[in-house]
Amino acid sequence: MRLDWDGWYLDGETAARRRARLTLGPGGLEIAPADAATCAWPYAEIEQRQGHYAGEQVRLERRGGAGAAVLVDHEFVAALRRVAPADAARFHDPAVRSRRIALTVLAAVASLGMAAAGYVWVIPGFAAVAADHVPVRWEERLGASVTQDYASSRRECADPIRRQPLEELLAAVTAPIEGAAYRFRLTVVDDKTVNAFAAPGGYIIVLRGLLDETDTPEQLAGVLAHEVQHVLHRHTTRLLFEQTSTGLLMSLMAGDPGGTVAFAPQAARVLGLLRYSRTHEEEADVDGLRLLQTGGIDPRGMAEFFEKVQKRVGTEPSLFQYVSTHPKTAQRIERLRELAAGGTRARRVLLPLVDWRRAREVCTVGR
Amino acid sequence: MSVSADVYVPGEVTLPAEDGLFALPPPLEPGASAAPETHRPTFHGEGGTLLGIQIVNVFLTFATFGVYWFWGKVRVRSYLCSQTELEGDRFAYHGTGKELLLGWLKVAPMLFGGYFLLTHAKLLGGGRTWRFGAIGASYALFLVFVPFAQVQALRYRLSRTSWRGIRFSFRGSPLAFVRLYVVGTLLDLLTLMLYSPIYATRRQAFLTTNTWCGDRRFDFDGDGRELIRSYLRSLALTVPTLGLSWFFYLAAKQRYFWNHTTVGGARFHSTLTADAYLRLKLGNLVLRLFTLGFGWPWVTARNARFAVAYLSLVGALDGAGIRQDARDASATGEGLAGLLDGAGFDLG
Repeated sequence: MRLDWDGWYLDGETAARRRARLTLGPGGLEIAPADAATCAWPYAEIEQRQGHYAGEQVRLERRGGAGAAVLVDHEFVAALRRVAPADAARFHDPAVRSRRIALTVLAAVASLGMAAAGYVWVIPGFAAVAADHVPVRWEERLGASVTQDYASSRRECADPIRRQPLEELLAAVTAPIEGAAYRFRLTVVDDKTVNAFAAPGGYIIVLRGLLDETDTPEQLAGVLAHEVQHVLHRHTTRLLFEQTSTGLLMSLMAGDPGGTVAFAPQAARVLGLLRYSRTHEEEADVDGLRLLQTGGIDPRGMAEFFEKVQKRVGTEPSLFQYVSTHPKTAQRIERLRELAAGGTRARRVLLPLVDWRRAREVCTVGR
Repeated sequence: MSVSADVYVPGEVTLPAEDGLFALPPPLEPGASAAPETHRPTFHGEGGTLLGIQIVNVFLTFATFGVYWFWGKVRVRSYLCSQTELEGDRFAYHGTGKELLLGWLKVAPMLFGGYFLLTHAKLLGGGRTWRFGAIGASYALFLVFVPFAQVQALRYRLSRTSWRGIRFSFRGSPLAFVRLYVVGTLLDLLTLMLYSPIYATRRQAFLTTNTWCGDRRFDFDGDGRELIRSYLRSLALTVPTLGLSWFFYLAAKQRYFWNHTTVGGARFHSTLTADAYLRLKLGNLVLRLFTLGFGWPWVTARNARFAVAYLSLVGALDGAGIRQDARDASATGEGLAGLLDGAGFDLG
């Protein structure tokens, strides 16, 4: 085996590079620079810093050697591995490179698997635990700022006289909630999209488009009861946690952690993109319906309204966003229908003296 | 992140892009001969190789619940350093994951607290005065903190970078830079940003003249006045060119900075043009958009190649004249800057 090699020597004292004769001796590497004293490095103290990739010079350093280094070619490393088998693991073997691609592909698959597992199990689990530990006061402030951000780009329909019937409805819906930690606040926004959502902390946002689609106060009461349950179950808080963690996960995989901590300003934008999960939806539907029944409100309006928007979404999908943010199947609507039919009979008529078609025009100016 | 982060905003933090080394002018010696030598640094790295490193890093980061993140960072930096060559020798990175982790652990609680105050002050409640006071105090703290972290990070990175076995170092006082930064930002605001070119040059002068390779100090001889005209022209053309005029200023600024940087008797020379810069940024934007952000390895390799592609140094390189004079630096500053990464600041 070849034991004598040519290389370069850096003494760690100046930036001069010297030609050196390198000999793989029995106890260590003997270095004979062109115009400097010969030195010997025990194999156990040699470390490889560079030369793990094709075309990169190999750089060997002595542990604690204050910058001294030897520059050699890849063949030298192969010889070094053979001469010092005990230390061979510290020196890069170019033969590994062909295996490296396979290992990288394996790592990619495993990472995707872990990311998927994280997305499906870890993040929802974490979000549920985290949401339960957020103080209600924080949720309220978060909800207030999210609602404010959301409403700031649109016109808020705040006329107290026109809002009066809606406030009465909300009060009727939430009346049976015992020991509620939340104070419910309704915001109506002038937007033709058919949608409604619950921000954390009791803030409920209803868009004008949804009001226009309701035929009776009972239908709107159904929507409100549903959103109220999202608040009580902290679904939105949980979803905001999930969105943030997912963003972090994505940026971790993309190698770009920037811009993921800034979460609050994004929350408002995220609100419109929320997709409640099937479990969240069922919880909000069933518990919302019970809430109506407890309050003596006719629960059939709820199923009616869901069915109506489900039918209309086919004609104008972009307008009926309620359907995509609150996915429902025909089966679930059917189930609601059965539950509504089986419960106690309604004891009261909502807003008996009000013409609903007129009352729902909360956003109309003047007239 | 977005391209806009790279467009020069007066008072903005500008540290050399990931792995600062490329901004380091390599060492030189006064030339003895009449005909000046020209040396060109080269970047040999490939986006594909970086992608491989990134994949393994992501895997190990997941598998270790995030702890490997710091070791992964070291692997990327080592790669970028060792793929950059000057006069036949590659640069080397000597930082370790353990240093980065400890640096991060030291500053994380403090910084997250500050950041939380800054962004969530309205969630904490309290009176209006209290809230505005808290927000004002956070901004003031931030104004001091950014330059401080920038200098400390540079100090750490340079101390862990070497060429031909000679370590770089940064010897500027963080407080002096904080003073320069705070005064400059205020002057900038008072002059409606017209002070910007001078301010940027003064920052660059401070950072350059406190950078050493071994016992050799880098020097800077520009005052920024020549940049004012280019700055005003870009400003005037902002609206008709939809902001693209700023690429002329950015390129002019980079050229100016390099052309006024010397070490020993040798001077750097940059031929960077606005359209080359625009092509880089557009290409990066397209890469990011079409890969949903996963084009990061190619973007990084393109940036690294670009950083040295238009650069040369004219003058004799006398390696034997540069002597080792390493200074130690803790990774705490690196931890500070690392957190700024997370907050969306492009400190690398």
